[in-house]
Amino acid sequence: MKTIRFATFAAAFLMASSALAAETLVIDGATVHPVTKNPFVGRVVIANGIITAVGADVSIPPDAQRIDARGFHVYPGMFDAFSSLGLVEVDAVSATSDHTEMGMYNPHLTAASAIHPSSEVIPVTRANGITHAIVAPRAGRDGVISGQATLINLDGWTVDEMAVVPSVALVIDWPGIVTRRYDPVTFSFKDTPYNDAKEAAEKEQNELREWFDAARHYRQAEAVKDTRAHRDQKLAALSLCLEGKKPVIIVAETKRDIEAAVAFAEDYKLNMILAGAADAWRVKDLLAKKNIPVILRRTQSLPREDDDSYDQPYATPAQLQAAGVRIAFASSAGSGGGAPSGPHGSRTVPYEAEQATGFGLSEDDALRAVTLWPAEIFGVADKLGSIEAGKIANVIVTDGSPLAIESQIRHIIIAGREVELGNKHASLYEKYRARPHREPSGAVGARR
Amino acid sequence: MQPSYRSLFRLVVPLLLLSSLLWAAVLFAEPPTPPPYYAIQNVRVVSGAGAPVEGATVLIADGLIEAVGKNIKIPGDARVIDGQGLSLYPGLIDAMTTLAQKQAAESSASGERSRAPAVMGPEDRPATTPWVNPTEQLVEDAKIEKWRKAGFAAAVTAPEKGIFSGQAALIDLVDKPDRQAVVSTTVAQRVNFTGEGELRSFPGSLMGVFAYIKQVFLDADNYSRVKATYTKDPRGRVRPEYDRTLEPIETAVLDKTPWLLPANLGREIDRVVTMQRELGVPVILYGGQGAYDRAEALRTAKIPVLVNLNWPKEEKNRDPDAETPLRTLAHRRMAPTTPAVLAAEKVPFAFYSGGLATTAEVFESVRAAVDNGLSNEAALAALTSNPASILGVANRLGTIEKGKIANLVLASDWPWAEGAEVRATFVNGRMYQERKSDEPTEAPKSDVSGTWTLSMQTTRGARELKADITMAKDGKVTGKVTGERGEYTVEDGRMSGDQLRFKTTRETTTSSWTLNVDGEKLAGTMSSGSTTMDITGTRTSKADASTAAGDKNKKKDDVPLTELRAALAQYQGPAKKMGTFAITNAQIWTMAGPTIEKGTVIVSNGKIRAVGSDIKIPSGAEVIDAKGGAVIPGIIDCHSHIAVEGGVNEGTLAVTSMVRIGDVINPDDVAIYRALAGGVTSANLLHGSANPIGGQNQVIKLRWGADAERLKFVDAPPGIKFALGENPKRSNFNASANGVPARYPATRMGVMDVIREAFTAARDYQRSWADYKKGARNGIKPTLPRRDLEMEALVEILEGQRLVHSHCYRADEIVQLLELADEFGFKVQTLQHVLEGYKIADEIAEHGAGASTFSDWWGYKVEAFEAIPHNAALMTERGVIVSINSDSGEEMRHLNQEAAKAVKWGGMTEMDALKLVTINPAKQLRIDKRVGSIEVGKDADLVLYNGNPLAISSVVLKTWIDGDLYFDQETDHVRQGAVIAMKERMAGKGKEKKADDKVGSGSSLSAPSPEVRWADSPYSCSEGDE
Repeated sequence: MKTIRFATFAAAFLMASSALAAETLVIDGATVHPVTKNPFVGRVVIANGIITAVGADVSIPPDAQRIDARGFHVYPGMFDAFSSLGLVEVDAVSATSDHTEMGMYNPHLTAASAIHPSSEVIPVTRANGITHAIVAPRAGRDGVISGQATLINLDGWTVDEMAVVPSVALVIDWPGIVTRRYDPVTFSFKDTPYNDAKEAAEKEQNELREWFDAARHYRQAEAVKDTRAHRDQKLAALSLCLEGKKPVIIVAETKRDIEAAVAFAEDYKLNMILAGAADAWRVKDLLAKKNIPVILRRTQSLPREDDDSYDQPYATPAQLQAAGVRIAFASSAGSGGGAPSGPHGSRTVPYEAEQATGFGLSEDDALRAVTLWPAEIFGVADKLGSIEAGKIANVIVTDGSPLAIESQIRHIIIAGREVELGNKHASLYEKYRARPHREPSGAVGARR
Repeated sequence: MQPSYRSLFRLVVPLLLLSSLLWAAVLFAEPPTPPPYYAIQNVRVVSGAGAPVEGATVLIADGLIEAVGKNIKIPGDARVIDGQGLSLYPGLIDAMTTLAQKQAAESSASGERSRAPAVMGPEDRPATTPWVNPTEQLVEDAKIEKWRKAGFAAAVTAPEKGIFSGQAALIDLVDKPDRQAVVSTTVAQRVNFTGEGELRSFPGSLMGVFAYIKQVFLDADNYSRVKATYTKDPRGRVRPEYDRTLEPIETAVLDKTPWLLPANLGREIDRVVTMQRELGVPVILYGGQGAYDRAEALRTAKIPVLVNLNWPKEEKNRDPDAETPLRTLAHRRMAPTTPAVLAAEKVPFAFYSGGLATTAEVFESVRAAVDNGLSNEAALAALTSNPASILGVANRLGTIEKGKIANLVLASDWPWAEGAEVRATFVNGRMYQERKSDEPTEAPKSDVSGTWTLSMQTTRGARELKADITMAKDGKVTGKVTGERGEYTVEDGRMSGDQLRFKTTRETTTSSWTLNVDGEKLAGTMSSGSTTMDITGTRTSKADASTAAGDKNKKKDDVPLTELRAALAQYQGPAKKMGTFAITNAQIWTMAGPTIEKGTVIVSNGKIRAVGSDIKIPSGAEVIDAKGGAVIPGIIDCHSHIAVEGGVNEGTLAVTSMVRIGDVINPDDVAIYRALAGGVTSANLLHGSANPIGGQNQVIKLRWGADAERLKFVDAPPGIKFALGENPKRSNFNASANGVPARYPATRMGVMDVIREAFTAARDYQRSWADYKKGARNGIKPTLPRRDLEMEALVEILEGQRLVHSHCYRADEIVQLLELADEFGFKVQTLQHVLEGYKIADEIAEHGAGASTFSDWWGYKVEAFEAIPHNAALMTERGVIVSINSDSGEEMRHLNQEAAKAVKWGGMTEMDALKLVTINPAKQLRIDKRVGSIEVGKDADLVLYNGNPLAISSVVLKTWIDGDLYFDQETDHVRQGAVIAMKERMAGKGKEKKADDKVGSGSSLSAPSPEVRWADSPYSCSEGDE
């Protein structure tokens, strides 16, 4: 099937979907997995970037381009709930990284202002069925407020076209008590005496509270007619997060840090999303009680402690789900000693979900945790996360569960447009697979 | 008798030795010199050389024991000391200290360190000063008097800095150690397993230190032979160079001087035993706290032990939420049992104070050993006769026998016993009497026992301290003061009237406390040097006698050792030793033919006996019903860095072919168990990628619970790591900004040059031996070449005896290496990572190299930017034997899934994909005769999955190695429960916490001893780019 691309230069934020795709598509004959209800064989109709009809025998608009998907499956496109896509091209080359700004408190910075739409990593990622992602800045060594995350579709000529929600959440790297830290200068772990580490953490936590106090004050002052207060970008950005108006992602790993972060969020009535959270299983009841969702670190991580159960990271998603904590899988909320960090691991998010199914999570819940649940967590479930009429048409056609390695992705539709499966990897593969065979003679490299 | 002459002599000697500035001090401090004749009568002699003798007399004359026994006539010129009610013991010996040594000027800043020239190889003799002997410059040391007051009369003093730090001397504990104080100048040569570390200067890793030590001994041997040959027949021979370092080492070897080697934990002790076997020199092990389960090995190897009395404890100012691993808790509990175990197993051992600040702590530690089963007699031996015989001075010291040096201690009880009073210590026949404080004492008006919170007024505000104090009826006070900076022992404590006085020591500073107690409050001062600070305090809890006794009982209630050992065995060891067994009803992926549905595998004596669909089960065989699950050969990881201690890189030099991963295997790394739970049974432990030619690798089987030697895959041919590209040229690491000297190479040109240069040198080295064997040429007789461990490994490569495993990324550098190998006539066995291998698969296939790659890692650096997940499939299509490796303790846990990615990307069959992690890596490591497939006669290394072994959702149920069950998912939770339960019981005394509630800062396995401590090295797994 020929893929048609429309260069769309129209205003991007109408309906918060990325583009005005003047295209009507119908995916016909596939087993549809709406996620919100049971699978059925039928059709998905897409027009103007939006799913317009879903059903066993909904009518096909006359001008529709038909994708014959008999024998295949249609799933919602998958959601990487925490990534650095577009902010980093090659981890080791700082020139290609716009991920970590200097300074400790940067609530006014937005990922959208640095996302590189033509990053080679994006097509590689979506070829595995990821259609949208949270792109989050991170703080440096001593940073606390990293900036604002952006929700993007993994297709678009410009960031404006890609952005579903330009500022979807604030990101805080919780200033916890860190008694052991990797020192890149000496390549070794350096221990800080507990009292010193505690003092440093408390100082930063107090500063963080001062920033939120100031944001409250600023909002109050700004509301006054003829206010004398000067415009302050940072406080203005922060004030939008007070009282749960905008979600605040807090990255915290240990039980102690998570508990402190929860108390902080409660004080400022924040709409908190916990990320990373290696120890979330130890505080699952607290998280359930406070209704705090968790963006999980990689399931394929090592246990934190020597004496933790070997399968603790594999079992954590199911334990949280059973306790009533909303979960979402992600590539970059934390890694645990395996695949290199960075955007290049985004394409394997579905496998992080599948890994949990061997350890208690149901297949359905694993799928929800890469589709519907992250959409709910970020307050965009009206736009994304399931195959339902009215939602942005981010869907994929596959020959099996998208969480299984062996499954192949056949079609990707992002914001209603069919997107090419081709990418850097596929091109290199084709190119070198076509290299003529050398007849084995002479020393290696004697020719060429 | 000429006392005046002797006095004069004593004055003249220091005069000659000391600068005039010190003259006055020496003059005024000179004590009287009484006649050197003493008689101790009516005393109980506990000699260590037989049963105690009651009512004995001991005569001392001219520094020696003149007579011991009953009915001895007391000479008229002897000062008579009545020993009624007292015991006389041999003077105690502290078997290793740094007493009376001049403190080397600390290079205050690392800046100074970085200005020193970097060590560029073993030939530069890093941190090697075997000629240093403390007796050349003994200095006054305030600690000597404290030690002597407690009954110590002699001590070994050894320089502590450096790898070959210097000679250990035995000295008498006199205030101003002079020539007379030296009992023996060289009782041993001390070695530490420490170096500069990191990347700055060789050696930068534990394995580098091991290689260095071996090279030095080889060099000393060569030096000795060449010198001897030359001395005998110098004509026509090139004169050997003088080597300051090798002279004393040669001397020590010829004199059979023992070598002090450090080890605490079991695995460290194993390394010392191995090293002793390799070096063939007498060894004394120091540290030794983990010898509780290595006594037999030590006895067999005839290695005596100096046991460090500084028992492992919880660190101060520790993160209260940090979790302590069971192994560490167990080590703390079991370390004080070591002396009793060694005594029972008849391993000679002595005690040393190991940096403890006070003798009160030293004796508390001795009592801990006694509480853990050591007899007081054996404790005495460990402080007297044992050190004397271990150090070769038993003919002079260690017992109370006629003619021996009069080092004695007169005490009311065993000197370490609670409440014991040392009345006098004789050192070299001179009496040092313990005098009561000249402060007037009166009976205590109140009992100050209890816990006090103290507030100290400092210039920076009030500081809070805690004092735990116990007062005896006579007013003697013991206890501890705890502050932010640590814990201090109360010394010389006494409650007199309502005044409490005691001292504490921090490093070399002594503080005096004078506090007036008024009921539950106290107030007073603490003086330290010229500063005095006000103290106020209140008692927060009263410890009465009954709770003190309760504490003691509680101590005895410690977890029984048998239970603790059982829990450890459950934690670390095979889940089940197996006899003959059959796995039935399994889908068997043999890797040697089509998959067998509903098949059976029979295993006995560790080998596969039968495989098939219609197999008769031998009678008596245990039957394991696989219930339709899949059995595959144990997974083999062709690239791993788990279970390596002290750094995976010796990254200081461009060529480090002399270092061996096999020297530093850490069998206690929990990564082994976690990998078993991922179905891995063998792993290729590689050196890191910091240099073009790295160290020697070690293939292991993951026999969790076995020691390092028994982890080794004995039949695996030896190999070595090479590395090309960004890592060896240090592209992604700013060396100069981190104070690391620049190191050639910095380009791919240079990397190739380093390798070519190394092999050119190796050929020359080969020739130098051939020339030597040919004999004289033109009248010049050849010199015996030096054995060079770096060159030997390279020669083995040239001879096809050592397999090259080369880290590489870019296609062009791979071709360069293959061409270079052709040029020197060797084969590259495996290309590791080889992320652009797909571009030149034909060239790789033609050379015959294997390729071991990642499944889908990419983009983390420039040379990984053209990595594609189709790499494995594409190379396989073109005839390369390919494996998928982990390079990570995490990735290692799901290599089956990584293999499955080759089905998705590149369309391999499931069978071929699974070969990527089984038979193919076995071929690459040349262990395929033993492992890698399920065939009759092969090792029974097997994995049982509950479903398709390539599916993520499948779980490893069981993993067998050599037919024993090493991982069993069914019982893992029992194991886990036992670990948690034991930890709760052990932690129960201090913090009442559920293990479930504990979080921590990633404290690692039982920390290695300070003498063996290493930072993690660069380019380790954390970079993900090995």
